[in-house]
Amino acid sequence: MNRFLDWLDDRSGIRALVKEALYEKVPGGARWRYVWGSCLTFAFFTQVVTGTLLWMSYSPSAQTAWESVYFIQYQVWGGWFLRGVHHYMAQAMIVLLVLHLMQVMIDGAYKAPRELNFWFGIALMGVTLALSLTGYLLPWDQKGFWATAVATNLVAEVPLVGPMLQKIVVGGVEYGHQTITRFFALHAGILPAALIGLVVGHIYLFRKHGIHVKEPRPKRDSYFWPDQILKDGVACLAVMLAVVILTLYFKGAPLGPPADPSNEFPARPEWYFLFLFQLLKYVPAFWGAVIIPLVLGLLIFIQPFIGASKRGHQFNIGFWWCLLAGSAGLTFLAFSEDQANINHGAAIKEADWQAQRVVEIALEEGIPPTGAVTLLREDHQNRGRRIFAAHCASCHRYNGHDGRGYSVEDDPSAPELAGFASIDWLTKLLNYEHYISPEYFGGTAFKDGTMAEKVLKKFNEDQKKLLPQVALLLSDLAELPYQDTLSEEKRENLMDIYYDDLACIDCHDIDSEGEGSAPDLTAYGSRKWMIDFIVNPEHERFYGKKNDRMPAFGRDEKLSIQEIETVVDWIRAKPAEK
Amino acid sequence: MNKRNKPHPGEPEENGDCCSEDSRRKFIVVSTIGISAACAIFPIASGITTILDPVKKSKENQSKVPWTKVAPLGNLSEDGKPAKYEVVLSEVKDAWTTYKNVPAGAVYLSRSGSEVTAFNLKCPHLGCAVDYRSKSDDYFCPCHNSTFGLDGSVTDEDSPSPRGLDTMETKVEEGAVWIRFQQFRPNIAKKIPLS
Repeated sequence: MNRFLDWLDDRSGIRALVKEALYEKVPGGARWRYVWGSCLTFAFFTQVVTGTLLWMSYSPSAQTAWESVYFIQYQVWGGWFLRGVHHYMAQAMIVLLVLHLMQVMIDGAYKAPRELNFWFGIALMGVTLALSLTGYLLPWDQKGFWATAVATNLVAEVPLVGPMLQKIVVGGVEYGHQTITRFFALHAGILPAALIGLVVGHIYLFRKHGIHVKEPRPKRDSYFWPDQILKDGVACLAVMLAVVILTLYFKGAPLGPPADPSNEFPARPEWYFLFLFQLLKYVPAFWGAVIIPLVLGLLIFIQPFIGASKRGHQFNIGFWWCLLAGSAGLTFLAFSEDQANINHGAAIKEADWQAQRVVEIALEEGIPPTGAVTLLREDHQNRGRRIFAAHCASCHRYNGHDGRGYSVEDDPSAPELAGFASIDWLTKLLNYEHYISPEYFGGTAFKDGTMAEKVLKKFNEDQKKLLPQVALLLSDLAELPYQDTLSEEKRENLMDIYYDDLACIDCHDIDSEGEGSAPDLTAYGSRKWMIDFIVNPEHERFYGKKNDRMPAFGRDEKLSIQEIETVVDWIRAKPAEK
Repeated sequence: MNKRNKPHPGEPEENGDCCSEDSRRKFIVVSTIGISAACAIFPIASGITTILDPVKKSKENQSKVPWTKVAPLGNLSEDGKPAKYEVVLSEVKDAWTTYKNVPAGAVYLSRSGSEVTAFNLKCPHLGCAVDYRSKSDDYFCPCHNSTFGLDGSVTDEDSPSPRGLDTMETKVEEGAVWIRFQQFRPNIAKKIPLS
């Protein structure tokens, strides 16, 4: 072994190099405050290795980016853990950057003769943030897609060349294949290369000037090896542990539903950019994207000179504390505003549902070459709620919301439709108090109609007791997938009530004889009945001329027959939430 | 006074108790090396399984060869004369994409009563497409001249093929011939499925 090392040393001078690297003098002894640079190097090293491993399964295109990330997350052995480590290490890097920066500022390590190295550091911070931003888009999920669109729109704010620059970054006008390939080239090629170059310069300059010692010196001078390396290593270990715990706790990195420009999603950047996001609520985009960064950037650039005097140094430290506190305050505001916003919560819940749903379908049926987004677009459950939200929710509600979970500002003006035609739903409908409540016909002309005023209101106590039986009968006609059917005998008994005891038949036909002045209840609530009803509620089978504002969706071609079928299937699929 | 007598850390103490200082240093060096090694290994260790994934999957997939419908039984000649049929797999998975109705290769089917034999079109030697020669009623590989009998066995001693034509599992159901289409490792005497 020794002979081999001699041979190697003879030809490479490796011993001197190792000695040079390890026996750097640490004036005042090893200290915990010096560990951040090493932690950042470790974090970056982890990102390079895990990123390369992810690269082996990642495919950058609009039809394969989400799909390959899904593959890594759900199909590749240990893929979820690898993604988790890459994701949380990226966040750890931001935290470490801030710690490193603050240590340098507070210790005054940015001042002469270390100005150049300070600038290298600031450039490194910029590259790291750019890596975060570009990486956020790569899974091509809703979150990355919508948030990054905001970021690239800000690029257009740059004077003169902005719109051109935006086209270059996006690879065209719209997000697509070219956006991913460009972002990927930036994320995995150009930016890491720039970072490596800058780190080499940073470490070279650091070695040239040596550690900037914070006085007073606690101990005798020592060397980088092994005292400082031990401390650095322990700190790296702590970072590693934190990342592993986060990965295990959150079961890897999140993956939202596949990007879809037709499926709106509230754009939010990663938490460390939230302060910028919040800032843009108060200042024009041009200020937020150009003026403020430019002014701050210039100020930071000249900080080594400002810091030459004691007052200047204090100003610099104060500046960074203010910047941090301001960012923290804005971040807090962004969080609390979203927390207070019910519709934001609904949107997140909706996206979570879609993410879970698309994975469910993908695992069961596989992903077609057109991509996972078509799975969601063609999924009845997903389409049903969207059609309901777009076309029905202005009057009707579904479990009190718009079908997707969003609350609707106006009061409902037509019946609640979750659990439509179920036993519970009908039992309530046939109760006068409920019938005229906003949950049913309270918002319609039927509130004062014959059924309310001359039938339900007039029933005596004995008759009222029979009404739930009618609900049972009618609900049976609906053949809902979540309810059992009645026995023939039971049905006969209930028919007697319908015909004789309550004489419903006087107005409502139930055996397709085309009679009765009120809606025909033959096969009431069944798939076909509902479709026919939505196609044209003004048909004489249904409300006829008494129809109150319900559009004839099919007759007037507001919805295609497939869309009506989809929304009907969706309404019929589940009982109302209790 | 006490202060002056206390040695600096790292210096041997006056009473000659050098070993505790040595062992402290040894402890530091060993733990530093250990921790550094852990940090160096961590990134690759957190993702090494993803590289090994294809090896793991191929073991799991071996029993999952699906049945594929190839042709109506009535199309096969009853005298046992083989004919070539394209195999269209109803579903092919390529990592994250699932393709439907994919032409995946071809087979020779021959019938004897209700029994059907299926040979993979690929020569077990080096994968050329084998021809059926009706004149001599045998199979012949146009690349390296391997010849096979109707039962698939190597008939000519000079044939370079190390084994006979590769059979696949077949069944007759609903009046159609179904096979479990597979490829096999070429140029070895043993028939080992690729997966």
